[in-house]
Amino acid sequence: MSEMWINMGPQHPMTHGLWNLRVRIDGEVVLDVDPEMGYLHRGIEKISEDRHYNEVVTLMDRTCYVAGLAWEHLYILASEQALHITPPERAQYIRMTCEEFQRIGSHIMWYAAFVNDIGLMTPFLYGMRDRDLVLDLFQSFTGARMTYEYMRVGGVRNDLPPTFTDQARKVLDWLTDRFREYDQLCLGSSIFHKRCDHLGVLKANDCIAHGVTGPMLRSAGVKRDLRKDRPYARYDAVDFDVAVADGADVTARYLVRMEEMRQSIRILRQTVDWLEHHPGPVMAEHLPRWLGAPYAPVGREGYLLKRNYAKGVGFSAVEEPHGEAQAYVVNEGTEHPYRVKFRSPIFANLSAARQYLVGYRVADIPPIMGSVDPCIGEVDR
Amino acid sequence: MSQATLYSVSYDLSNTIASALGSVLPSGARDLITSSGVVTGFAVVIFAVIILAATMLNTILLIWWERKLLGRFMDRRGAMHVGFAGLLQNFADGFKLFRKDTVKPREADPLGFYFGPTAYMITSLAIFGILPISSGWDTGALPLTLLLALAIFAFAPLFIFVSAWSSNNKYSLMGGMRSAAQMIAYEVPLLLAVVSVVIVAGSFDLNTIVYEQQNYWFWGPLILALIVFVAAMLAEMERIPFDLPEAEAELVEGWNTEYGGMFFAFFMFTDYLRALVGSVLVVLLFFGGWTLPSWVPSVATSWPLAGIFWFMVKTYIVFGVFVWIRASLPRVRTDQLLRVGWNRMIPLGLVSVFVAALLVVAKCVWPFGCLPTP
Amino acid sequence: MQPDDLTRVLAPKLGENLLGVEAFEGMAGRVRFRREAALDLFRAVRDDLSFAHLSMVGGIDWVDHREVFYVAWSDSARQYVLLSTDVPATDAHVETASAVWPSANWHERETWELVDITFDHHPDLRHLLTPDGYAFHPLLRSFKIHEPEELEVKTRHV
Repeated sequence: MSEMWINMGPQHPMTHGLWNLRVRIDGEVVLDVDPEMGYLHRGIEKISEDRHYNEVVTLMDRTCYVAGLAWEHLYILASEQALHITPPERAQYIRMTCEEFQRIGSHIMWYAAFVNDIGLMTPFLYGMRDRDLVLDLFQSFTGARMTYEYMRVGGVRNDLPPTFTDQARKVLDWLTDRFREYDQLCLGSSIFHKRCDHLGVLKANDCIAHGVTGPMLRSAGVKRDLRKDRPYARYDAVDFDVAVADGADVTARYLVRMEEMRQSIRILRQTVDWLEHHPGPVMAEHLPRWLGAPYAPVGREGYLLKRNYAKGVGFSAVEEPHGEAQAYVVNEGTEHPYRVKFRSPIFANLSAARQYLVGYRVADIPPIMGSVDPCIGEVDR
Repeated sequence: MSQATLYSVSYDLSNTIASALGSVLPSGARDLITSSGVVTGFAVVIFAVIILAATMLNTILLIWWERKLLGRFMDRRGAMHVGFAGLLQNFADGFKLFRKDTVKPREADPLGFYFGPTAYMITSLAIFGILPISSGWDTGALPLTLLLALAIFAFAPLFIFVSAWSSNNKYSLMGGMRSAAQMIAYEVPLLLAVVSVVIVAGSFDLNTIVYEQQNYWFWGPLILALIVFVAAMLAEMERIPFDLPEAEAELVEGWNTEYGGMFFAFFMFTDYLRALVGSVLVVLLFFGGWTLPSWVPSVATSWPLAGIFWFMVKTYIVFGVFVWIRASLPRVRTDQLLRVGWNRMIPLGLVSVFVAALLVVAKCVWPFGCLPTP
Repeated sequence: MQPDDLTRVLAPKLGENLLGVEAFEGMAGRVRFRREAALDLFRAVRDDLSFAHLSMVGGIDWVDHREVFYVAWSDSARQYVLLSTDVPATDAHVETASAVWPSANWHERETWELVDITFDHHPDLRHLLTPDGYAFHPLLRSFKIHEPEELEVKTRHV
């Protein structure tokens, strides 16, 4: 067969979203790839410029629809720095709890999609079943299962319900058992190793040169985790290990993500204990009135108000489930951020697609892309 | 009364209908209708219709069986809402597909596009005309039934490739290429496994092969041939872990990407037809067909149609194992599949042929017993 | 790493093109430089200060001028650094960083199409998020999302 270009996307089972991977193939061998993004571009950075600080949180749920709370956390951290606000400690612990549960939820979603890519259907449904428990937890205190709109500049919207700690412990116990089952279904199968070992290799040097972060970078043996290296919220107060593997291949990424879920459970046991014994306020005091209100006034006049608050620039970096997310918020003294810029980890991970796809076979593309865990909402923003 | 056979049932039915019709018709027409030629011809038609209906019904039941089993493996319940325990779900799905339009891509070749799936289904259906399902329930003692069945079975890559090529879609084309490569590669070990059975049984006639298993079923001594046969059958049926031609993760839907409506239903239906053929062949060649071991009390086999009943039970159990494999294994890659086919399955098949030859020479093997003496 | 450390290493390399190093909460510092010295600065930051990992490139439209900023991470210092340069709105271009950090490639494509800042010698300056032939730059302040726009999209033929 002669060489040809095929479009894998925008609607294709491999994409896990809405993007187009153009692949040049010779028979079954991949010669070149060219990712085309932008099918899901909603201009979130532009819309943010016309919104109040707290209204932007709504958009953050839509950036990555499987890790909404992690993105809320990211934006809120940068905004608080730009607005010179310090949240109470209990709010910080609640945010950490949210982020870690979100990490588990996102990784289970990744697991379900990834195993489906290599033809394992059963674990897909196991994954979806267990992710529901995490969503139930979110529903118990945010009221939503996907678009939470929970965090606020200066704290969080409401405190956790009294039943939360018991429910969370039950979920954690259940998940600990299930992760063992997940491993048996994948690592116990020799076909899994045949499909995934030495596949999509991206060595540490290439990772760093191409800006690849998160589980992909840690699977190459680089021990880098912002929760350890640059602790935000109260990650300096909890005890956990950074998951690292050596293979730099698909199996290594699998191992890293599974270990990360176990470490998240470890963190969560500590934060849940802390939350049980330390009641307190969840919103900062002395906020500007428009920030303290649950919903800022919206209207044509609202946009025209110009008041003078202290200016500032905020930068935050969060270890999102997919990697290292960053936000840059410029506060020019009005109620709206002047400029918001987000750095999506998958944006960088996908930009290196040529490095880890060329030379493999067409049948290898789904497992490799699955191990990257693309979430197109946050790439296109 | 002698034992009912499929043909005797059809003939009796035909005769009854002819005489009932004849009693209300004038004498000239009555003579024509009740003449032996017309009754026999009509009996053949009834015979074919019975086989067709039974095959279709079984295939649909097989899909239900797979959905329920797969559901249980996945910690859910499968189809539940249409009919008792979802038994009628597949009929509903079939009607839905029947009502839908088949959209042909503008650049597709209409001849191949429509001919491919049709021929694929018809040839696969034809296999059931010659498969025996119980003693006497067959088309008669054709001496080479097994060979004929496998020959028809091997048509499939051609039709798949025709429909893939004429779809004018790159995914279809790649799926078709993979399908052809895989089916041709696994045809060889499949036949080697069959040859071992034929050597032991001394016949290509499926009735004889079942009869030869009266002392012990062949799966015990010919365990190698069984492994090779099942693996090759999985590849021929294009089921996980060998479902690369329609690997939905990379090829969307493989060679039937462009099909919708009734022609898509043809493909799906035929996939299960072939799965049914595979399970039936495993039962016939290795698990004693409709017979039961001699230590089973005769109560289990003495009632009418017991042979068909046990045959179906065995077939569904064998298919259940295929479903189990599907629920627990990931998919392999094309090159790995072909490497396993040529490097592992063919040597194993040759060894099993050798084992079969030894078995014929030795006649009796502990702990299985002896081959029946003709 | 403190802003003083950055100045000590960068000042000899850049001379007057280094406009200053300010403190920035949560970062090693904020380095302001003239765009003429962009490549020298990138090399110095990557090789001499070991900021091997470029995380983000972005642009800000300040109406009278535009700002390009870069965020880089150092594994040894475990810190970020912010580099920023101002370019005039009428002549908005700067040297590409993708020769030094390959990861800048897509970030610069995005900045080019959204904030209208051209990156000289960029290997692959095509539209990334907006369609080919999209003539607007949405992140400029002059682009109002409340007003209807006339969108003309050319279809790409492959």
